[in-house]
Amino acid sequence: MEISTNDYRVWTEGSTIHYEGTMRLSGTDAYAPILEIMNSILSSKPEIITLDLTGLEFLNSSGINLLAKFTIEIRKQPEVGVRVLGSKSIPWQSKSLRNLQRLHPALELTIS
Amino acid sequence: MVQDFGNTTASNGSDATSFSLKLRAEPLELSWHHCGVTSDFIGEYFSRACRQGIDPVDARHSISYMINEILENAVKFRHGGDVELVSSLEDDRFEIRIMNQIDDETAEKFQGHLTLLMEREPGELLLERIEENALNPDSSGSGLGLLTLMSDYGAKLGWSFASERVSEGVELTTFASLRLS
Repeated sequence: MEISTNDYRVWTEGSTIHYEGTMRLSGTDAYAPILEIMNSILSSKPEIITLDLTGLEFLNSSGINLLAKFTIEIRKQPEVGVRVLGSKSIPWQSKSLRNLQRLHPALELTIS
Repeated sequence: MVQDFGNTTASNGSDATSFSLKLRAEPLELSWHHCGVTSDFIGEYFSRACRQGIDPVDARHSISYMINEILENAVKFRHGGDVELVSSLEDDRFEIRIMNQIDDETAEKFQGHLTLLMEREPGELLLERIEENALNPDSSGSGLGLLTLMSDYGAKLGWSFASERVSEGVELTTFASLRLS
């Protein structure tokens, strides 16, 4: 599964979801197709879902809401684990990703 | 009449590196796309003007993120008219004022929201708001922009509502400042 535009790309490999580029969409409705891809991975109930954000240079607050919403969905299913991969060289990730762990303490966050 | 919320005082003086921009409503048709382009441009401009010891990558991103969030609100809620930005950098402090027009109803609603925002710790309120959004699939906006700025970026924010400077509705000035590191 893949969504690709001039600004960003979201695609899946197994139970890993990759994000790349700059995502500044206008709100929940605009992010809905991306959430749909994420939910389809969750509905297959893998042992662990990996969100690979290491190529996502920019995410606006509506996008942060999308990640948070999905984290809460995963939290409802304790049999599904979640791992989030971030990059130290992308400032928003060190600043905002820890909020996901506050929402779901079992979430494994690696920023390297 | 002017009503202020939060921190509306500017610290940067006449020696600051400063930059102003007016986004004309006509004939360019302000759109969502202009928010990203404008905020990236100003972030890039000031990251090159930072003194030694400030991380230019972090400065560019933080300035860009902050302006993008405020400008997205300005474009989303504006009631016609131009959007003006006045920004400055002195030592490690970046400041910006963004002015736009909103209608009376939006002003009243936003003031109610700000009263609540001023009373609480932004980090707690951010998590609360995220949980509320998750429970409400019909909410179209996230309401997280200002909260992430305050909670994750340590931004100081303020708002001034002036009803006499414009013929219709209210002129909203959003003040934001950021200490760069």
